[in-house]
Amino acid sequence: MSEKEVLVRGRDFTAYRIGGAIAALLLAVALAFQFILLLSGPDVTAPERHWGVERLRGAPVEATAGDVAPATGDNALPDSGLLAAEILRNRTRLQDERFRTGPSPDGDQPPLALEGGDHLTARPLMDGGRLFDQEGDRALTRAWASLDSDTGSMLAPGREVVGLSSLPYPNAPLFERPAARDWRMGMVDVATHLGAFAILGFSFLLALMLAIRGRVPIAHGKAHRRVRRFNFLERANHWMTAGSFIMLALTGLTIGYGDTLIRPFGEDVLGDAGWLATWGHPLFFPPFALGLLVMASLWTWRNLPEKLDWYWLKRGGGLFSDNPDNPPARKFNAGQKLIFWSAILGGGLMIATGVVLMFPYYVFGLEWMTWTMLTHAIVSVLLIAIFIGHIYIGTVGMQGAIDAMWDGDVDYNWAEEHHELWLKELEAKGLLDDDTRTGSLT
Amino acid sequence: MSRMKFLCDTDRCIECNACSTVCKNEHEVPWGMVRRRVVTINDGEADETSVAISCMHCTDAPCVAVCPVSTLYQTDLGIVLHDKDTCIGCGYCFYACPFGAPQYPNSTLFGSRGVMDKCTFCAGGPEENGSQAEFEKYGRNRIAEGKLPICAEVCSTRALLAGDGDTIGEIYRERVIHRGYGSGAWGWKTAYYPEEKS
Repeated sequence: MSEKEVLVRGRDFTAYRIGGAIAALLLAVALAFQFILLLSGPDVTAPERHWGVERLRGAPVEATAGDVAPATGDNALPDSGLLAAEILRNRTRLQDERFRTGPSPDGDQPPLALEGGDHLTARPLMDGGRLFDQEGDRALTRAWASLDSDTGSMLAPGREVVGLSSLPYPNAPLFERPAARDWRMGMVDVATHLGAFAILGFSFLLALMLAIRGRVPIAHGKAHRRVRRFNFLERANHWMTAGSFIMLALTGLTIGYGDTLIRPFGEDVLGDAGWLATWGHPLFFPPFALGLLVMASLWTWRNLPEKLDWYWLKRGGGLFSDNPDNPPARKFNAGQKLIFWSAILGGGLMIATGVVLMFPYYVFGLEWMTWTMLTHAIVSVLLIAIFIGHIYIGTVGMQGAIDAMWDGDVDYNWAEEHHELWLKELEAKGLLDDDTRTGSLT
Repeated sequence: MSRMKFLCDTDRCIECNACSTVCKNEHEVPWGMVRRRVVTINDGEADETSVAISCMHCTDAPCVAVCPVSTLYQTDLGIVLHDKDTCIGCGYCFYACPFGAPQYPNSTLFGSRGVMDKCTFCAGGPEENGSQAEFEKYGRNRIAEGKLPICAEVCSTRALLAGDGDTIGEIYRERVIHRGYGSGAWGWKTAYYPEEKS
C-alpha cells in the first residue's frame, strides 16, 4: 500500500491543532494550580468558626488583646473569644471532685456564669476554609496538637478497641480505630492529588500531541467506500456503557473534587450538587454493569492477546507518524485491546467495590469497607484518565475513527491503514462488496 | 484560648448508660441514631472496663478533611459541627472517624441512608444559636448558654469529663495521683495528638 503517496498529513488539520494548543494551555494552568495545592503541604483541618461573647449581664463586652478577630461584616458588635473561653473554663471546674465543688444546687455559681439573655455567639472566622489555608488557621490546630509533659504522661496508647455495647445500633461496640486517620490520608493526600495529576496530566499530554502532531490522518485520503465495522447492537451497547460511564465519572468527580471546584460558588450549591451526585451515582450503575456484561460477551474473543500485539505496541501503533505503513492489526489492535481490558477489569473492579459499598455491613464491616472505598476512589481516577485517552483517539485524535462507533461504517482506506489484517479477512470471506455497504459484524 | 475535649475515666465508668440516655433525651435524637455510646471491653472478665464514647472533636479532624460537601466544620474551641442542609449522606466521615461517631438514620444503600447526625458537644449547628430551627436539627445548644455537654454534667461518678482540655486533664491527673492508679486518657492520642508517636 505504501506505493500510494501520503495525501493527508496530521499537521494540516490547523483548526484541530489550534484547539489542541488552547486546551494544552488551559490544562497547563490547571496542572500548575494542582501543583501549588500539592506544595501547600498535607491537608490540615483548621477552625472555620469563632465562639465569642458580645454581652455579659447586659453590658457590651470589649475585645481584648489576644482575641481572634472574626470575619467582619455580618455583625458589627465586638466580641471576646477569651471571655467565652473563660466562661467555659470556669464551668469545667464544676466537674472537679465533690469535696471541692460541693453539691450542685447549693454550691456557688461559677464566676462569669451567663444569665438571662446572654449567650455565646458563633461567627465565621476570617480565614475559614481549607483551600490555600492561611497560616493563622493552621497555627491553632498545630497548637492543639502539641503535647505538654503533663498531658503526655496521661495519654493511653492509641489502638484498635472494639468491645460490647448494650445499645442496639450498628457499630455501637466500636470504641477506637486509629487506622481511620490513615484512610483520611489515603483519600485526601493521596487519591485526590493522584487523580488530579493523572487526569489533568494525561489530558495535557494529549492536547499537546494534538497541537504539535495534529490528527492521525487517513494518509491516502478517504476512499468514499464504506466497510461495516460495528453492528447496531455493538454500537447501542457501547453508547449505553459510555454514557453511563461518563455520568458515573461526573457524579464521582463531583463528590471527589467538588470541595475544590464547586465550593467557590457557595456551600449550598456544593450541597445540592453533591446530593444530585450521590443519587445519580448508583442510578447509572445498572446500565454500566449491563453494558459491560454485553461488551464482554460480544468482544472478548476478539481481544485475546496475541504475538501481533507486542509488535504493534513496540511500534507505538504508528501513532506518531503520518506514514500509512502502520503495524498490522486484526479487528482490534493492541491499543484497543488495552482499552477493552481496562473497561472489563477496571470497570469490573469498580462494580465489585461499588456494590460492596452500596450495601453496608452485608459483605464487609466498617474496617474493610474503608479500604474498599479507597480502592474504588483510586481505580476510578485512573480509569477516567485512561478513558480520556480513548475518547481522544476516537474523536479528535484520529481522522475517521468516530465513524466506526457512530454510524458503524468506516472508510475503506481507514480500515486498510489501521486494521489491515481484518480487511484482508473480510475480503477472503467475500464479505466485502464494491458498491454495497456489506462489511462484517465479527 | 481554650480547647474543648472529652475524657472518660475508665476506672470510674460503671456502664450505667446515663450519658447515652440523657443525650438522646436532651437533643431528641431520632430513632436509630445514638450520639454517645458506652462500650464494655473484656465483658465478664476480671479486667472488665467500660468507656463512654462519642465524637471526640479531634484535632486536625479527619471527618472535616474528607467531607466532599464541606458539611463538617470546626470551631476555634475545637468543637466539630455539621450542617444538615448540605449533608449528602455519603458516609465518608464515618469511614474517616477513628471513633465511629457519625450516625445515619438508615444503614442501607449509599445515598438512601439519610443525613448524618453526630455529637455536637451540645453546641448546636450553623443556625442561629438557641433557635427552634437549630434545636430541631441539632438539639440543644448548651455551649451558647455557657454550659457544658449534658452527658458529662449528668455523669454520677464523674467518670465522663467534658470542657476545657487543660482543666479536665488537671482534674483527672489529680484524681489519679490521689487514688494511686489510672489507665490514662483513652482515645486522646488518636483524637488530639495525632502526630505523637506512642
